[in-house]
Amino acid sequence: MDRLLYLALGAAFGFVLLRSGASDYDTVQRMFLLQDFQLWGVIATAVAITAPGLRLLRRHGRRANGAALEITPKPRNPGNWVGGAIFGVGWSITGMCPGPIFVNLGAGKLHALAALAGALLGAALLAALYPRLAPALGLPVSKG
Amino acid sequence: MDEGTAFWPWWQGGAAIGAITLLLLWLGNQRLGLSTGFENLCALVLRTPHLQRAEVAASARWRLPFLGGLVLGGALAAFASGGLAPSLAAPLLDVRLALAPAEKLAWMFAGGLLIGFGTRLSNGCTSGHGIFGLSNFERGSLEATLAFLAAGMLTTFLVYGAGSS
Repeated sequence: MDRLLYLALGAAFGFVLLRSGASDYDTVQRMFLLQDFQLWGVIATAVAITAPGLRLLRRHGRRANGAALEITPKPRNPGNWVGGAIFGVGWSITGMCPGPIFVNLGAGKLHALAALAGALLGAALLAALYPRLAPALGLPVSKG
Repeated sequence: MDEGTAFWPWWQGGAAIGAITLLLLWLGNQRLGLSTGFENLCALVLRTPHLQRAEVAASARWRLPFLGGLVLGGALAAFASGGLAPSLAAPLLDVRLALAPAEKLAWMFAGGLLIGFGTRLSNGCTSGHGIFGLSNFERGSLEATLAFLAAGMLTTFLVYGAGSS
């Protein structure tokens, strides 16, 4: 049941990403070239809706089933911006951030398959190098 | 989406993304974040300790179905706008670099490599840092978001040249 819920939410999210232009190569490039406001507006509106919503939900303190709501902030470390900068180059090259890779896979874009293969290898490489990178960048120790 | 097909107005797309983000939290107690999904997928076949950490294992239960949903949503949106035809088209790139199909796949693979490595080093992407983290006023997310937007702009300017299209 849970899984169906997440599948449905993911499908809605994917549908919206495609309709917003977030999975469109040209629209992403025009965002970065500051020629098209579309995706800047999408991101800004998403934050403008989510931020007050989070505040309300946190004040309410409960989720739909009555259980306590927990929001764990992500750890802050230099990996945030170093990794972010590396990711940004990849986002520009492919015209896709992680969500749109999966959306474009569904929409029949064959190059999304190549990007996904690269991303999986990249994630595996980072995981293999993590023990060596962690001390240098102050990353948290991974706990099994 | 085909050229000439209009996207939703930006405020509509953004509002829908915000609503789904809040629903995911309210119904499932999950913070939106997609790039850990690369690790969830890798962890299915690799035993690397970092990939087998508790945080990743715990999130596979919701994130793998969500990623499946993204694929489904992309297919539905493509069907709804005139059919799903396999394609390699990226018009701006095709005009600018005119890559052969194999070269284009290599280009996308290389970009994907940076996405996988970078997002996992950053511990988040456009969704986890850019939407959820920013909305939650997390400083690390602000730093990550500024970094990936700046790097994306710089790279696109290098590929396309400032001011050209």
